[in-house]
Amino acid sequence: MKMLRSGRARAEIRGGARARGLDPLSLAGLACLLLLVLLALGSLVDAAGDPDAIVGPRLRPPGPGWWLGTDNLGRSVLPRVMEGVGTTLLLSSAAVLVTAALSAGFGVLAGYRGGYLNELIMRVVEVLYSFPAIVLAVLVAAVAGPGQLAALAGIVLVTIPLMTRLVRAAAVAVAGRDYVTAAVISGARLPRVLGRHVLPNVAGTIAVQGTYALSVGISVEGGLSFLGFGVQPPQASLGVLIRQGGTYMMAAPWLIIGPGAVLVLAILSINVFGDGLRDRFEPRETRSLV
Amino acid sequence: MRLLLWWGGRALSSAVTLLGISVLIFAALRLMPGGFAETILGPFATPEQKAALAARYGLDQSVLAQYGHWLAAVGTGDLGTSMISRQPVAAELAARLPVTARLTLLAVAAAVLAGVPLGVVTAVRARPGGGGGAGRLLSGLGVSVPEFALGSLVVFVVSRYGLQTTGYLLPAAVLSIFAISATARTTRDAVLGVLVEQHITAAVARGETPWFIVRHHVLRNAAGPVLTLTATVTAYLLGGALIVEYLFNLPGIGSYVVQAVGRRDYAVVQAGVLLAAAVFIVMNVLVDLLVGLVDPRLGRRA
Amino acid sequence: MRYRLACGAAAVLTATSACAGGTAAAPGTPGGAGADATAPPGYLALADGKLPAGGALTFAVHIDSGAATGLDPQLADVATSWQLMSLVYETLVTVGPDFAPKPALAESWETPDPKTYLFHLRKGVAFSNGREMTADDVVGSLRRLLAAKSVWRGQLGPVEKVVKVDAGTVKVTLARPYTPFLAALANVPAAVLPMKEIEAGSLDPAKQMLGTGPFKVKDHRQDVSWSFVRNEHYWDKGKPAADSLSVTIAPEEAARVAAVQNGSAALASLGNVDSAAMLAGATDVKVATQATTDFYYLMLNSRNPKFADPRVRQAVNMALDRKQIAEVALGGQGRPTGVTPAGLPGACDPATLPSATGGGAAGAKELLAQAGAANLSFTLSIYATEPAPAVAQVIQQNLQQAGVTVKIEQMDEASWAGKVYGKAPATFDSALSWFAGYADPGMVTTWWNPDVAGFNQGFMRADKDLNTLIARAGETPAGPERDKALAEVCAKADTDSQMVPLVTRPATIAYRADAVSPSLYATEGYGNLLRLVADARVKRG
Repeated sequence: MKMLRSGRARAEIRGGARARGLDPLSLAGLACLLLLVLLALGSLVDAAGDPDAIVGPRLRPPGPGWWLGTDNLGRSVLPRVMEGVGTTLLLSSAAVLVTAALSAGFGVLAGYRGGYLNELIMRVVEVLYSFPAIVLAVLVAAVAGPGQLAALAGIVLVTIPLMTRLVRAAAVAVAGRDYVTAAVISGARLPRVLGRHVLPNVAGTIAVQGTYALSVGISVEGGLSFLGFGVQPPQASLGVLIRQGGTYMMAAPWLIIGPGAVLVLAILSINVFGDGLRDRFEPRETRSLV
Repeated sequence: MRLLLWWGGRALSSAVTLLGISVLIFAALRLMPGGFAETILGPFATPEQKAALAARYGLDQSVLAQYGHWLAAVGTGDLGTSMISRQPVAAELAARLPVTARLTLLAVAAAVLAGVPLGVVTAVRARPGGGGGAGRLLSGLGVSVPEFALGSLVVFVVSRYGLQTTGYLLPAAVLSIFAISATARTTRDAVLGVLVEQHITAAVARGETPWFIVRHHVLRNAAGPVLTLTATVTAYLLGGALIVEYLFNLPGIGSYVVQAVGRRDYAVVQAGVLLAAAVFIVMNVLVDLLVGLVDPRLGRRA
Repeated sequence: MRYRLACGAAAVLTATSACAGGTAAAPGTPGGAGADATAPPGYLALADGKLPAGGALTFAVHIDSGAATGLDPQLADVATSWQLMSLVYETLVTVGPDFAPKPALAESWETPDPKTYLFHLRKGVAFSNGREMTADDVVGSLRRLLAAKSVWRGQLGPVEKVVKVDAGTVKVTLARPYTPFLAALANVPAAVLPMKEIEAGSLDPAKQMLGTGPFKVKDHRQDVSWSFVRNEHYWDKGKPAADSLSVTIAPEEAARVAAVQNGSAALASLGNVDSAAMLAGATDVKVATQATTDFYYLMLNSRNPKFADPRVRQAVNMALDRKQIAEVALGGQGRPTGVTPAGLPGACDPATLPSATGGGAAGAKELLAQAGAANLSFTLSIYATEPAPAVAQVIQQNLQQAGVTVKIEQMDEASWAGKVYGKAPATFDSALSWFAGYADPGMVTTWWNPDVAGFNQGFMRADKDLNTLIARAGETPAGPERDKALAEVCAKADTDSQMVPLVTRPATIAYRADAVSPSLYATEGYGNLLRLVADARVKRG
C-alpha cells in the first residue's frame, strides 16, 4: 500500500541541470543497506558460528560464546541474525527483480501497444490487485508448498499489480512524445522503439517502485513466517526470528531486539533510499509557503 | 451520454475482474494438496464417509460443474454452507463484518485525522531543495514497523499491566500506525505537487496568507491521491486485518478466511475472497467518482 | 495460521494445547511442576471447597472442535473435541488421578469372569432436558458406538454383546479378556447419549449436545466461543460449583497469554514450553504443567525404499537422543518414552530398549554402513505448530552426528495430513506427529497394528509377531505378567522402528489465582484440561 502515492506518472527524466545527486539521508540509507548485505556474507556468518548448531543452554542472555544470547533451542543468536538478514534480503531482492522484469515487460507492452493486449494485461493485473494480499500469499504457499520459492512467488504476485500499473501509465505518457513518434515514422521496429525510447524513460518509475516493493517484500516474508508458511527450519529469516522473538519478548528480550532492529533498519533504509531515488529521477520544484 | 458509456464500461470491467477472481480462487483451492476429505474428516475416515461428505457438498461432481453451480448460487445471493460449522457462510460473514468494519473505521479515521494534517504541515514547511529529514524518517519508520512485531509488543505489555486488550482501540491503533504514516507521506507529496502550480504563485503574489492558500487552493487540488490511498487502505482493511485479528483475538473476516484455507473449507474461502475483492473494486469506483467531484480536472482519468 | 486443524488431523488422536506447543515450567523445575504446593498427591491443584459456589468461569483455549462429523461424541477423534464434549456428556466410568477406573454413571461394576462386565447404573441421573437416563440409553449408546465407523471402536476391544439385565443393570460380554476395557469406556466417545430422543429423530447429535453432564450448551459460535450454563438436573448435587462457563477460542498464543494476564480469562491452555518463565512476573498468575501420557513419534515410511531395510530404521532410532529432545525441544518438560507411554503404571523403561543401548550415533553409523546406507539423507515432514519444528530440528542435529542428512519440510496441517494419510502407499520419507497416550499402557500400542489402525497402512507393514504380542498384552490381566508382556511389545516395536516413540508431551495451564480455584490432575491421559471443571470454584473480590 505504501507505494500508492500518486496515480500521475512523472516518469520523464528531465534535463540534467535539474537532476540532483542523492541527498545525505538517502546516501545514509544506501550505506546501511550495503552494510547489511556485507553482514550477511556467507564467510562472515561462518565466522560468527554455525547458525543451526546447539551450542549452549537454552535462552541464555548475551555472553561469551553467544554474543547475542541463545534461543529456545540453545543456538547462538548472532549467526542466526546474520543468516536471517541474508535470507530475507536475498529473497526479497530476487522477488523484486522478478517483479521489475515482469512489470517492465507487461507494463510497457500494455501502455505502448494498447488495444486488446492492454485490456488483457490490465484485467489480469486488476484481478491480482483486488485479491486480498495475505490470502493470495497464503494460497501460493499452500499450493506450491512452503519454502523460499513459495515466499518468492507470493511476494511477486503481491507486488506485481501496482508496479505494472505505474509502468503502464508511464509508458502511455512516453508513447505520445514527439521523439517516439519520430522514431516510429523513421521506420524503427517495435523492439527497437521499446528498447531505445520507451524503456529508458520508464526506468525511473521501475527503480523507485522497486525500492518500495522491496520493503513490501520483506513485510510479506515476515507475515508468511508469522503464519508458518515462510522459509523452512532450521534456516533463519528475519520474519522467522521476529516471530519467535515476539513469543519470548519478556522472558528473553535479546531474541527480538537484534532481528527487530535489523528489520526496521533495513525497511527504513530502503524507503529513505527510494525517496531519494524518486527525487533523483522525478525531480520537482518545491516551494515553501512559510 | 459519454459519461453513461464510461460508467457502463467501468461496471463491465469490474464484473470481468470479479469473474477472474472467482476462477482464480476456485482453481487455487482445488490445486492445494491435502484434500477436504482427509482434512475435515481426519485420517480415520473410511472411504464411505469421504464419499458421503463429498456428495453432501456437491464435491463429487466435475470441477467445472462445481464451479458452475457455485457461480449460479452466488448470483442468487447464496454463498454456500461451511463444511465445519454447517451454517450458511453468509450468516457467519455477516456476524464478523461488524468487527472488521469497526476496526477499519477507527484505523482509517485515525489515518485521515492525523495523517492529512501531518502531511500538509510537513509539505508547507518543506524548504526548497529537499530537507524534511525528520519527517521522512518518522513516516518511514511508521511504514517500516511490521504489524506482527508491533502487535505482539502492544498485546504483551498492555496485558501485563492488567489492562484489557479486548476493545477495538488498541488493535486499531496498531493498524493505524502504518495507515497514518502512509497517508502523511502521500499528502505531503500531493501538496508539494500543488504548491508549484501557477495559481499558487498568483495567490502568493496577491499576498494571501499561507493558511488561506492551503485551505482555499491546495487541499481540494491535492485531494485526489489522498482519497485514492484512503480508499485502498479502507478496502485492504475490510478484507481482514489477519495478524491483528489473531493477536487481539478478534473474530473478523481475515482470520475466518485464512482458518478456512487451513481446513479446506471451500465455500468459506471462496465467499470471503469474493467479498473482499468486491469491496475493493467498489471502493475504487467510488473513489474515482469522488475524486472527479472534488477535483474535476482529475475526473475520468481512465 | 496457526490454526486449527492442526493438531487435529495431525495429532491423530488428540489435540489439546498440544497442538500449539509444548509445556512449561520455570527453567530448572522438573516436569510436572505443580502450581499449588498444598495439592494432594496426583493433583496439580485442588479446588478450595470452602469458597462459595456460584459465579461465572471464563476460560480460553486454542482451538474449537471442528469436524465434518459435528458434535457427535462417538465420532470425535481429537482431544480438543473430547474436552469440550466432556462438559456435557458423561461415561459409565471415569479415571481417577492415578488412572484407576472410578464410578461415574455406573455406581459400581462386577466382573464375574474376565469376559463379563456387569454395570450397576446410578439412580437419579437425568439428561439436561429433565428426562431420566435409562438402561436403554446405555445399551443403545454402546451398540451405536460398536456399529459406528469411528476411531474409538478400535479401542473398545473385542466386545461381543451389550444387553440390558434389568432397569438398573447392563451386561457387556467380551469375546476375549481385554484389560484396557474400562479405560477405553472412560473416554468421551463411549458417553451415554439420549438414545430415546435420537431414535425418535427429535435430536441430531451431530448438531446439538444433550447429555447428563454438569453443563449444558447455551450458545456456540464456531471458532469464536462456547457458552455453557449449569445443568439443573445434574445428579451430583452441589456440582458444578460455578453457574456458568464461557470458553473463548483464541488460536494465537499471545492472545491467550494476554487474556490470563489481564484477567479476561481465569484459565487458559498454553502451548509454549517456556510459558512459566514468560509469565513469571505477572501478578496472581499461576502456571501449572500437567504431565500427559501423550507422546511424539517419528514415522519412518517402510513402503519407501529408503526405509525398507529395518537396519536403516533401527540406525535412525539409535541415533536419536531422546533426552536431548526432551531437554531442548520441550524445555525439560517431556520424558523419553517407549511405545507404552512413560508415566502410566506398567509402562516399560525406555532406557533398556535396544535403541537406547545400541551405541548411539557411533552404533548408528556402523549399522548404516552394514546396510549400505552410509550417506543416508531423507526428508522429515512436519506441521508448523510448535513444538513440532523444535523437535524436528533437534532430531536433525542428532542425526547429523551419525552422518545422516535430514531436510525438514514444514507445511500447514492440511497439506501434512494429505501427504501422510492421503494416499497408500504413502510417498513421504518420514514424518513427525503425536498420539494421545490414554489411560492404560496397552491402549496406544494398538495403533502399532496397521490392521486395526487403518490410517497407518499407507506407510506401515504389519508385523505378525508384534501384533501377537500386542494382543497378548491386551488379554493379560494387570500384574507382573502383563508388565512383562508390555515390555516385550516395547522391545519389539523398538526393533521394528516403523513408528518410533520419542518423548511425552506435557500440557501447560495458566490461571488467575485471584479469580479461580481449579482442580487439576497431575497427569492426564485423554488430553482433557477441563476434566475437573465442575469442581472449580470462582473467587470473587
